[in-house]
Amino acid sequence: MAATRGPGAESPSAADIRFNNVSVRYPNGFTGLTDVTLSIPAGQMVGIIGLSGAGKSTLVRTINGLVPISSGDITVGDYTLAPGRRQLRGRALRDLRSDVGMVFQSFNLAKRTTVINNVLMGRLHHTPAWRSLLAAWEKDDVELAMQALERVEIVSKAYEKASSLSGGQQQRVAIARTLAQQPKVILADEPVASLDPPTSHVVMRDLQRINAELGITVVVNLHFLDLARRYCDRLIGLRSGTVVFDGPGAEADEKVFENIYGRSLTAEDVLEAKAEL
Amino acid sequence: MSTAGAGTGPNASGTPRNGLGGPGRAPAGRPAKPKSAGAIAVVVLILLAITLWAGLGIRVDLAAIARNWSNAVANIIQLTQPDYGFIPKTFPALLETLQMAVIATAIGAAVSLPLAFLASRATNPHTPLLRVVRFVMNLVRSVPDILYAAILVAVVGVGALSGIMALVMFNIGIIVKLVSEALDGEDAGAQEAALAAGASWFKADRAAMLPQILPTFASQTLYTFEINIRASTVIGLVGAGGLGVLIDNVRNFFRYHELSMIIFEILIMVVVLEMFSAWLRKRLV
Repeated sequence: MAATRGPGAESPSAADIRFNNVSVRYPNGFTGLTDVTLSIPAGQMVGIIGLSGAGKSTLVRTINGLVPISSGDITVGDYTLAPGRRQLRGRALRDLRSDVGMVFQSFNLAKRTTVINNVLMGRLHHTPAWRSLLAAWEKDDVELAMQALERVEIVSKAYEKASSLSGGQQQRVAIARTLAQQPKVILADEPVASLDPPTSHVVMRDLQRINAELGITVVVNLHFLDLARRYCDRLIGLRSGTVVFDGPGAEADEKVFENIYGRSLTAEDVLEAKAEL
Repeated sequence: MSTAGAGTGPNASGTPRNGLGGPGRAPAGRPAKPKSAGAIAVVVLILLAITLWAGLGIRVDLAAIARNWSNAVANIIQLTQPDYGFIPKTFPALLETLQMAVIATAIGAAVSLPLAFLASRATNPHTPLLRVVRFVMNLVRSVPDILYAAILVAVVGVGALSGIMALVMFNIGIIVKLVSEALDGEDAGAQEAALAAGASWFKADRAAMLPQILPTFASQTLYTFEINIRASTVIGLVGAGGLGVLIDNVRNFFRYHELSMIIFEILIMVVVLEMFSAWLRKRLV
C-alpha cells in the first residue's frame, strides 16, 4: 500500500525510467523531441525546464503513452514504450498507466461530482467494470482514497463538490487522485501554472514530500526557474526538443538558463519576481 | 484655361483636412473596415427569391377564406362555448395521455443514456461503431412521431401500447441527439486523467463524463416529457390511445362544444406541467 508505505522506503517495485534515442514527430509535422537519451533512477525528483514549445509537455506525456513516440524506446520499470506497430496498447498500456500518476495544469477534475469520487478515479484500473458502473467501490479503495486526501491535508472536503474548491485545493485533490493509484512514478505537467505564488509553493511542497516520504519518482514540468531549483534534485533543460542541460539545480546558474532559454532571464521566468509585480 | 487652378479646391493637394485620414481610409496602423454590405445584399436577395418560389409553388388560395367565412364563424362560435358537462367523460382519456407520456419518457430516457455515450466522439473512441450508431440515430430521428404511431397501430393494434412505443422512438431521437451533443462540448479533462490513470474508456466515461452530463440529461428528459404531453394527444388521432382518440371522435361528429372543452383541458395540463418542469429544470443546471 503506497499510501501507508514508510518514509523513503526502497520499494522493490520502484521503477527506473530510461529514454533511448527517443524522437517524437506529431502528425502535423511538428517535432516534439529529437533523439533524447535520459535515465531517471527510481525515487528521484526531476524538474524539466524550458520555454513553451521546447518539448517539456511532450517528454512527460511520452512516459505514460499519452503521446506516442516516433522512434527509439522508453522503458518504465518492466514496460517498454516503442513506436509504431510495437506500441504498447490495450491492457498492457493500462497496466503501465496505473503505475504512473499524472497531475495536469488545469487540474482535470470532474467538477460536478464530489472530491472523494474524483480521488477514487485513481482506483478505476483495479475496479471491475460492474463496480465502476454502479459506483459500488470496495471499502479498501475508499480507505485508500481517504488516506490520499489526508496526505495532502484536504480530507475535510471529501464530500464537497470539486467545483466548490479553490485552484490550489483542486490541484491537491488531483495529487491525491494520483496517490490513490499507489503509483511508482508521478508526472506533473505544469502543476502550478494556474496557481498564485503562495499556493504554488504549497503544491510543490506536497510533491516534494510525496517524493521524499513515499519514494515515488516525480517528473515535473516547470516554467519558473526558482521553483525548479528549489524543489528538484535534478534539472533537465530542453530547447527545441533536445536536452541542453542535465544536472543538479545548484549547477544551473544564469549562464545555463540563458542557454536553455536562448535569451537572458526576465522577471517572467522567476516566480518571486512575478509575485512582486 | 492655361492653368488647372480654377478647379482646385483646398483639398486638391490630397492632404487630409482634419489629420485623421481621408474619408473611407483608416488611419495608419488601423485596419480598414471590411466590406460586407454587398455579400449581405446577395444573401437577402437569394432568401427572397427562395421564399417567392415556395409561395408560388404551393398556390395559396386566399379567396377560400372569404368563400368559407360563414362556416368558420359558426364553428368558431361553438368553439368559444366549451361544454363543461363533458369534463367527467374526458378524465379517463386525459389520465391515459398523462400515463403514456410518463412511461414513454422513462423508457426513452433509460435507453437514450447509453446510446448518447455511443453517439458522441468525446466518449466513444471506436469510429466504426460511432458511425453506425449515428446513422441509426439519424434514421430514428427522421421518422415523425405521427408516422411511428400509424405504423405501430397497424402492427401492434389500436391502443395505448402502440402510442407508448411511438413516443419512445420519438424520445430516443431527441434525447440521444441533445445529450451526445452536450457530451461533445463537455470538458474532457477528468476523462483524460482517468485514462492516464489506467482506466478503460468505459470506466473513464462512467466516472468522469457521466456526472458532468447528468444535469443536462435530466433537463432534456424533462423537456421531452413536456413534448410528450402534446405529442401523445396528436398520435391519438391515428388510434394510438389517449386524448387524441377522443378528439378524433368528437371532431368526426362536429361536436365543437366538446372539442373546445378538450382543447381547454390540454391547454391547462400543458401550461401546468411546463411550469412544473421549468421550475425543476432551473434547479438542475
